[in-house]
Amino acid sequence: MKRQIVSFTVNGEAREIAVAPNRSLLDALRTEAGLTGTKKGCDVGECGSCTIILDGKPVNSCLVLAVEAEGADITTVEGLQAGDGSLHRLQECFIECGAAQCGFCTPGLLVAAKALLDENPSPTIDEIRFAIAGNICRCTGYTKILDAILLAAQPAATARAQGVTP
Amino acid sequence: MKAATVIGKNVRRADVLEKVTGEAMYVADIALPGLLYARSKRSNVAHANIRRIDTSRALALPGVKAVLTHENVPRVLHAGSPHPRSASVTPDQYILDNKVRYWGETVAVVAAVSDEIAEEALDLIEIEYEELPALFTVEDAMRPDAPQIHDRGLGGNLVLPPVRVSRGDVARGFAEADLIVEGEYEGGRPTPAYMEPNACMCQWDGNGNLTVWISTQTSFMVRGIMAEVLGLPYHKVRVLCDHMGGGFGAKQDLFQSEFLCALLARETRRPVRLEYTREETFLGGRSRHPVKVWLKQGFKRDGTITARQARMIFNSGAYGSHGPGVTNVGTNGLTSLYRCENVELEGLCIYTNSPIAGAFRGFGVLQATYALDIQMEEAAEKLGLDPAEMKLKTAVRDGDYAPSGHPVVGHGLLDCIQRGMKEVGWAEQRKRTRDTGVQRRGWGIGCEMHGAGAQPAIKEQGNAIVKMNEDGSVVLFTGAANLGTGAHSTLAQIVAEEIGLKFESVAVVHGDTDVVPWDIGAFASHTTSIAGRAAQMAAAEVKRQLLKHAAEQMEVAAGDLEISLGEIRVRGTDRTISVRDAVAARLGIPSLQFVANATNVPHKSYSFAAHFVEVNVDTETGQITVLQVVPVHEIGKVINPIAAAGQIEGGIQQGIGHTLYEDYQIDLKTGRSLNANFVDYKMPLSMDMPPIRTIILETAPDPEGPYGAKGIGEDPIVAIGPAIASAVYDAIGVRFRHYPIKPEQVLAALRAKEVARSTTEEGVHA
Repeated sequence: MKRQIVSFTVNGEAREIAVAPNRSLLDALRTEAGLTGTKKGCDVGECGSCTIILDGKPVNSCLVLAVEAEGADITTVEGLQAGDGSLHRLQECFIECGAAQCGFCTPGLLVAAKALLDENPSPTIDEIRFAIAGNICRCTGYTKILDAILLAAQPAATARAQGVTP
Repeated sequence: MKAATVIGKNVRRADVLEKVTGEAMYVADIALPGLLYARSKRSNVAHANIRRIDTSRALALPGVKAVLTHENVPRVLHAGSPHPRSASVTPDQYILDNKVRYWGETVAVVAAVSDEIAEEALDLIEIEYEELPALFTVEDAMRPDAPQIHDRGLGGNLVLPPVRVSRGDVARGFAEADLIVEGEYEGGRPTPAYMEPNACMCQWDGNGNLTVWISTQTSFMVRGIMAEVLGLPYHKVRVLCDHMGGGFGAKQDLFQSEFLCALLARETRRPVRLEYTREETFLGGRSRHPVKVWLKQGFKRDGTITARQARMIFNSGAYGSHGPGVTNVGTNGLTSLYRCENVELEGLCIYTNSPIAGAFRGFGVLQATYALDIQMEEAAEKLGLDPAEMKLKTAVRDGDYAPSGHPVVGHGLLDCIQRGMKEVGWAEQRKRTRDTGVQRRGWGIGCEMHGAGAQPAIKEQGNAIVKMNEDGSVVLFTGAANLGTGAHSTLAQIVAEEIGLKFESVAVVHGDTDVVPWDIGAFASHTTSIAGRAAQMAAAEVKRQLLKHAAEQMEVAAGDLEISLGEIRVRGTDRTISVRDAVAARLGIPSLQFVANATNVPHKSYSFAAHFVEVNVDTETGQITVLQVVPVHEIGKVINPIAAAGQIEGGIQQGIGHTLYEDYQIDLKTGRSLNANFVDYKMPLSMDMPPIRTIILETAPDPEGPYGAKGIGEDPIVAIGPAIASAVYDAIGVRFRHYPIKPEQVLAALRAKEVARSTTEEGVHA
């Protein structure tokens, strides 16, 4: 199939890649853009391992065609760290709480959690459970993942409790 | 003994930074220049001879570089299970055969310049099957006139001769009983569903050396079997496995794809990567053995067990894989947990034209415990005893013998039951008024014991090399794989503790069979105990070398020195020297190379658990919801609390799954898979998980384990099942003797109960 040029911004960097029109964004990110942090667990939108943030919304990148991402702003797990290499608070909290075991679902979960906290900086535990309901983890029982996301949200939650706008 | 400074602490996992940044490379993330993509053609029949297979149209497709079928691969009979020198394998498979034994079996592979072309080529392979009668249930396969699925010596589609365990006098035991309880129990087909689909990549160099990147729990077994089947000396095969996305036992096997990937790479003279899709990970992966258990026990009025007789029938699916091991472990597992001197057990493992069953967390013990623990509840009720008290009374204890023949050390099981009863207020829970409305709550207890290690069936061995660097840091070389358990951090903690270093001063090298010492593989809950003990032994020797050297420098006897967190101190004084200065008196050049290897031939230790569970049953929908779990585990010494808790919580998640919904199903007419995806194969998600209040006890340390540590990997999946089944009984008064317990079954049982009651009431009124 004839390739098309697609331009988007990924993790703050403008990229131009050539892809076949039936290629998923997941495959394009992993192969053409060299960003293998996003994982392929099922390729049909069931496991959430390939979650990315596309124009502010968490999506399963396996269900998006690469050509649909023309002009989009994308964040993958590789984009969570700050420019100086320091970790995102969610990454710190995942480490702190033992939330990553085999690590295969971790990028998708981190990205889904970031999308949640961007939208709702002080979620309740049920809001967190709901936000990651599409991300399957088979190692942890979710307990430590929920702990980690709650911990990451803590400054905002504390601020809210004290009546301060985060 | 000095206070521990590193073990028992929550260290930052050594591998975690890569995992949270997305830098961790799993096999499918690695691409070599010139890489070809391989895909598998799978059968759409369950049992057939391949009469004709035509690959010419596929080969003619531009971009296709090679196609392999049974006609052009070596025909070497081998076992899919990785323990070729143990009693626990059945050599019954070829790389590709001229016969198909289950729906979805690989019959050909294609390598092409892209995934899409390889996929397209699969449709161009023409196959003519001569269909044979297919057998999907053990009952069908065991009929005297049933066709043989494998043309090997054993009749009745037996994978191995029946396993028999007999001790004491069962007839006398039953004669002495005040009560005899007999029942049939059944387990479905849950599947590990690790998040990383199976993947393999192979490359040959000009000297005929093969490198294999693979997601496996058993690198050295993969190397051994591949070398032997492909006819290579071991040093020409190098197996690499860095990060792996889970395995839960099932990634011990070889899946045909490893050989096929290597052969495609040899034929095309290019690197080849063969990945399974998620659907293929179901089809060609390994599930738990479905089981039928007939169990009969005799009891005295006080709950003492006088006799136990059982027959377990495991459905192995199309190949033997771990069937022999599971049958042995499962059948012997029925000797354990609750004391009984008179035992007569039989275990059968049967070939059927079904998906292949293999190793999966719990390995036979789960199936045996489900039946045994539920029957204890039935007996307790008939005897008018509290089930927890009865389990406590009969629990195995110090000096009893475990299924492996090893003595039980300590009172781990009693400790777990007692602590849990206290923790949940068990006595009060038993006394409370039962719900009568639509929503009904219930409490249950489940128990288990699980051995760390696979002895005596498999001769195990752990090895480690510890090497000190010129700055006083050390490198541990281990063959143990890291499925995601945090094993390498645990091993590094042991090395740091033993020498007297900070955790951060220990690096771990693993995952390369050319570099690290031999390892049996990461399975059977034994990595901490086997590889950890070897690491401790090697570290102790490096410490000895270091102290001898430091003693000369400090002009004291080595015995007067102690090390803690990188500082060597003359005991009882403030004379210290850093390990760094002791090693390299002159900057950057070590005085001596301190290095040691150690081999640990382990025995076997048993860990224990009691799980207390509260459920809610919705009597209008049949929905069972687990409301909370209080797991109490006794695991000897805890090396890494957060990793141990992670194992427990994850095991409970899988246990809730297999008890309530997970069942990989096939159509019993065609053998076709019905739910080989994550929508139809339902697993517990974040919304389904209850709060878990984990309690870990260290009351019965293993004297031969590292610092007394035992295993934890498999334990948490075992006790949760019977605990849930018992809690459901407590809630609605219906006893389920199978898993998974589905809402429609709950509703049907409640209706049947209602009908029985109204019939009785009508009888009374009449």
